[in-house]
Amino acid sequence: MDVLFIHQAFPAQFGRLALELSRRYGWRCRFLIETYSACPTPSKAMLDALEIHQVRDTREKPKGGVPWPQVFGRWLEQCLAYRSAYEWAIGEDRPDLIVAHGGQGAPIAFLRERTNAPIVNYCEYYFPNRFADLTYRVDLPPAELAPFYPRCINATTLLAMQASDAGYAPTRFQRDSFPERYRPGIEVHFDGIDTALYRPREVPPIALPDGRTIGPGHRVVTYVSRGLESMRGFDLFVEVAGRIARERSDAVFVVAGAGTTYYGWDNHYTDGADFRSWAMERHGADASRFAFLGHVEPEVLSAVLARSDLHLFPSVPFVPSWSLFNAMASGCVVLGADVEPVREVVEEGRTGLLAPLFDSARWADRALEVLDRPGEFGPIGRSAAALIRERYGLDACVPDLRDYFDRVASRGRKDGR
Amino acid sequence: MAQDPLCLLCVEPRFPGRLGAVADWLVRKRGYRCWFYCHGVDPQDRWPGSTGRGLEVVQFDVGGVAKEPSVAWTRSLERGLCYAYGAWEVIEARRPRPVDVVLGRSTGLGSTLFVPAFAPRAPIVNLFDYYYHPRRLDLADELVDRLPPDYVNWRVAANAMDLLDLENGVVPWTSTEWQRSLYPAEYRDDFFVQHEGVDLRRLGGESRRSGSRGRSIAGRSIPEGAKVVSFVAMTTDRLRGFDRFVSLANRLLRERPDVICVAAGGGTVGRGLDVEHFGADFAEIAMGREPIVDPERFWRLGRVSPVAVAEVLRTSDLHVDPSRPYVLSRSTVEAMASGAVVLGWDSDPIREVIDDARTGLIVPPDDSEAAARVALGVLDDPIGHRPIGEAARELARDRFDRDACLSRLAGLLDDLAKRSYAPPRRGGG
Repeated sequence: MDVLFIHQAFPAQFGRLALELSRRYGWRCRFLIETYSACPTPSKAMLDALEIHQVRDTREKPKGGVPWPQVFGRWLEQCLAYRSAYEWAIGEDRPDLIVAHGGQGAPIAFLRERTNAPIVNYCEYYFPNRFADLTYRVDLPPAELAPFYPRCINATTLLAMQASDAGYAPTRFQRDSFPERYRPGIEVHFDGIDTALYRPREVPPIALPDGRTIGPGHRVVTYVSRGLESMRGFDLFVEVAGRIARERSDAVFVVAGAGTTYYGWDNHYTDGADFRSWAMERHGADASRFAFLGHVEPEVLSAVLARSDLHLFPSVPFVPSWSLFNAMASGCVVLGADVEPVREVVEEGRTGLLAPLFDSARWADRALEVLDRPGEFGPIGRSAAALIRERYGLDACVPDLRDYFDRVASRGRKDGR
Repeated sequence: MAQDPLCLLCVEPRFPGRLGAVADWLVRKRGYRCWFYCHGVDPQDRWPGSTGRGLEVVQFDVGGVAKEPSVAWTRSLERGLCYAYGAWEVIEARRPRPVDVVLGRSTGLGSTLFVPAFAPRAPIVNLFDYYYHPRRLDLADELVDRLPPDYVNWRVAANAMDLLDLENGVVPWTSTEWQRSLYPAEYRDDFFVQHEGVDLRRLGGESRRSGSRGRSIAGRSIPEGAKVVSFVAMTTDRLRGFDRFVSLANRLLRERPDVICVAAGGGTVGRGLDVEHFGADFAEIAMGREPIVDPERFWRLGRVSPVAVAEVLRTSDLHVDPSRPYVLSRSTVEAMASGAVVLGWDSDPIREVIDDARTGLIVPPDDSEAAARVALGVLDDPIGHRPIGEAARELARDRFDRDACLSRLAGLLDDLAKRSYAPPRRGGG
């Protein structure tokens, strides 16, 4: 099988999967990408095994981002860059299957006219109009764009839905974010967690970037997100951390992620500060109790999570982070927001704990229970690790996705081309 | 509570556009109050009668890329969003109240997309015209070997705004079943299919076909016994088959000295669909390629008023619709309503209204010989073909009477408004 993966970033959702398909089944996996990601970074094994072609996009990237609705013009121009990359990188060496992230839908739409390979749409997420993801944080200042942007953000996703032959989403929540009319055509297949890396284990004391060491006498509370931002509840984490810190002098809060907002409009009300600084100041947080690691390599992250006594995931209803799965795979006790995407994987009292997103007192109470009596909550961490291993691990997911891709490729295109 | 009669908010890039006549009817016949928000306004002589008397026109400005007269195809979605935002800004500033129901138009300029930010409870009905297929229908069927890649990309991207509107809670309305069938299967069942209808009174005057005395068109006398072959389109472009009409006209002018061919419509090609002639005067190009054999008997009227169109159609012995497969031309329905014998080039939209040899005549699109043969047959025996014209008139009376058509639309608007004000139903047993 010869698969062409298309995604703005590498490795993102497809890099590890492609490596496994190549290693396990000898599939040829090619990529059209724009950038190499910093979170997670590509491994040497990926770079050695996969054919990666970088789209040449020579357009200037304005500082401070592109104002809407220019985003949409740029999107379509970006899609043209993909199409011409296809010409020089792939040409007539047609793949058996194209698997593409549909959030930048037009590459699929335009490629459909260029090739007759069946196209699989990775249906990551469909943005609802209101009170979800971008607009869920009603406790924060409203963004001027809120009534408008969510009504048009799905434009390219919709084009992708029309241009693909099949679609899959990693979780039920993500599938169900799509309009009901599209759901029957979207299967659920998770990406796959590396449970050889993320697993319960004893780890030696962890040296922090500031020279401190996390030893056995500490209670470690972790928070992980690509960006420390409101949609992932970083400020809520800081507030809860403050409550915990007042009760337990041995608690240390280890944070992995960049001070960048990837989703939403945090910078509209932070007066130029990054959201991390804004949140720390707003909640009067004692910085000495925190350790900010920035973006870290998977090996470092896995050690941190294996050492964690409690992992907090106060995210709004949105795509569930890999860090949630990684933490569970590592045997952490996860305390997550009581929202649908978290409930899909965290069963209260069995594979994790839940608390209402905006109830910081409740979060703190539950967190302190775990930190006070870790032995009592040990079975929850073990159940979480077992769940991830059995249902979300690479060994479960890669064969499942291989079968799915095989099925779609053999079925051919909807339009019979 | 819903006002009785209703307060209607219309949004369309230009006034009167397509919705102006609808709003006018709703104001005059149903007593609606209407605010019509638009960016551009046609000359006052094209405004419907109720303008300023229940139908208030409010112009909105647009910003960003929408200020430019034309944009690269990659900016078309962006431009549509600028229009939608421009409409919202002025609606928000003027705050028309109450708004019981909203009527908009999805033409790529996405007019009502942001209206819910002002009136979240008001139901929205949007008129949808055309869903583009990348390589087929309209002119794409014929351009298949020379479709520029960017043109194909544009055709794909041009549907983005329609898809957004369809997913943002509007009730989609379209004029014909064929138009509905172009939309993705996921959406077809949602559509309300209703033609806006034509004004039967305007079209139903005394027939002036061959055999009548003292006939004239646009002040020009028609010689006794002459046969009139008509073509009517807003723009005499390739989409509407002006080139086909020129070919047929030349054949008829050669074969019959008593034929006068009349073309109403003009202007340059404004639809991006004709990528090869956009901005050009296609009529001149078509006649340059195939010069008219007898210009004295080929009358070009240019763009004329609806009254003048009705005069042409009442006088026509054979009305020709050589359109490529595209949205059914209003003039075809008007020709049928006036009792003309219509000759259409075969396509699904034509077949939706013309039953061959009963309510009109249909010829294969690529068979100019057949078109000439059938046309000559009609001109040879106009009286023998009158029953076809009569059947067409009957059909138009049944299906395209504006009063009946727009009554059904008004019924939908009334119903939606009532339901939007109904208290939410309690759940549980």
